[in-house]
Amino acid sequence: MSHAPFPYEPFALHGQELRDAVVRYASNPLYLDNEEWQNSDNPYRRQLRPQVLRHLDFDRVPGRDEILDYSSLAVQRLLTSIYEADLVFLPKNGLQGEGRWEDFKRFYSPTNRVLGEMIRPALERYAFGFLDDEIETSGTWTAESLESYLESLNAHEAAGPSLSEKAISNSTDRERAARMWLIQFIPDFLSEASPMIRNVLGYYGAPQSEWFKIIIDEYGYGVHDTKHSRLFERTLESAGLETDVHRYWQYYLNSSLLMNNYFHYLGKNHELFFRYVGALYYTEATLVDFCRRATALLKDVFGDRADTQYFTEHVHIDQHHGRMALEKLIRPLVAEHGEQIIPEIVRGIEEYRRIQEIADEDFATQIAWMDNGPEFKKLHAPVWDALSSGRVTAPVADIVEPYGELSNTHCHDGDELCHIVSGTMKFVSGFDSHQILEAGEGTVIQRNRLHGAIIESEECVYQIHSVGDYKKCMS
Amino acid sequence: MHVVTFSVAGRNNCAVIAGEPYVYARTDEGSFVMRARCPHRGGPLHLAELAPEGNRLVCPWHERKTSLTRLRQEIPAVRSGDTVTAVFPGLPDAEVCTGHRPLSADLAG
Repeated sequence: MSHAPFPYEPFALHGQELRDAVVRYASNPLYLDNEEWQNSDNPYRRQLRPQVLRHLDFDRVPGRDEILDYSSLAVQRLLTSIYEADLVFLPKNGLQGEGRWEDFKRFYSPTNRVLGEMIRPALERYAFGFLDDEIETSGTWTAESLESYLESLNAHEAAGPSLSEKAISNSTDRERAARMWLIQFIPDFLSEASPMIRNVLGYYGAPQSEWFKIIIDEYGYGVHDTKHSRLFERTLESAGLETDVHRYWQYYLNSSLLMNNYFHYLGKNHELFFRYVGALYYTEATLVDFCRRATALLKDVFGDRADTQYFTEHVHIDQHHGRMALEKLIRPLVAEHGEQIIPEIVRGIEEYRRIQEIADEDFATQIAWMDNGPEFKKLHAPVWDALSSGRVTAPVADIVEPYGELSNTHCHDGDELCHIVSGTMKFVSGFDSHQILEAGEGTVIQRNRLHGAIIESEECVYQIHSVGDYKKCMS
Repeated sequence: MHVVTFSVAGRNNCAVIAGEPYVYARTDEGSFVMRARCPHRGGPLHLAELAPEGNRLVCPWHERKTSLTRLRQEIPAVRSGDTVTAVFPGLPDAEVCTGHRPLSADLAG
């Protein structure tokens, strides 16, 4: 009798098989386009634009320069949905009515979970693979060199305002910019520490209890009013925003999802546990100063209306969390498991810093895009002139849409010109930010910038010219 | 110890700690921070080529061979994009500066 086992083969989806699996997952009715800009108290509805996914190739690793392209946005939206099938979400107004009970069952169904898990490794490779090129450790790290490196980070020191904070302060509409900023934190802060909790399970000695202590703080010791997500709800409310989960799904930037998904990625894949330890340390240590600046910024923009307790609470507690992460997690883990884990800890710190940098630039650019809406509208004239005179040629798509047709938010991989042939379009470039485009008008759509549109006339005929770089049309 | 962040290529691709230069090298076997001076007579190790048998650098001055395995292990470092942060040995009051050293084709990736 033969005892030869089946040959062991790693699971991987590639090519058409992967594309089909992605489309199959995203074809769930939960993920179809919305007819409204916002979801309404339904945490299971997430617009994944499945009609576009069949044209995208996820079977590769994009470079840093492509990480804000549409395929990456699509992957981050997909991963958010896949990761969050592990979390419990219930609508604020209950499961009765408006199909919420059916949506609840669909979202947590074995089919949705299994289809998501099948495509997750490939999507994670697409989403985070660029970090393999961006971050690389070398040499022999010791506990002593790690201490010197950590000290050199000055993670506890006060830093100047980030690009995002400057963008809000200098925005032509500071309240709008600040709301857009708060919206970016929703995927993280309303289910705060959920990625961390993935590392509470198991059995790994004293650091497990230390890890748990940090979570106890985040969860407000079981007193709901002090749970950090509840504090953040009050911040949102004070800024005039709603607090139901993923209401503002269509306004999440690519990099905001990247940042949040990164921690789910580290928490879901336990081979990356030590990277999570590094990223956790850096996050907690730098959050103290960030939250101090955030408090000042929100007070400056909204005045005393702003409820900033979420941030002031973190100014206090994260001084402890940064110290705990170093003294109770990093040092004991290195002592127990050896210096071989240090490169992973360092890598987690640097990966998080890299992602933070990307998110900061992305948000600041989005605010400039929103603020400069009228200028991008004016650019239609010279760009259209270059195209209509034949001086510049570019691929064109002719589109006819009826009244109320909502083009769910997306972005393009190059600059485009939207030209209205007839009818009226409301062109949306971010939360509470739009331009009205009439026949003969249009707008330049900047590469990688989140936008959407809704038709406001009985019918609208328009063209999208893929010019690549609109500046080439300006001479 | 000294923690220095410097460029992986081009201008400022070299950290000098107490007069000892270090560069970021890229080889087929991986990338790492290495001493730029040969331990034999101080030759320009940053211009060294790989020995035919591989895994050793040949200093252009006296053809002294240095183990790549040993060089790779010496300086703990992390590259992030176009910069590298390395932890160097040395007394706290040692002079630290950055500069430029050209690299041989074998070390330039």
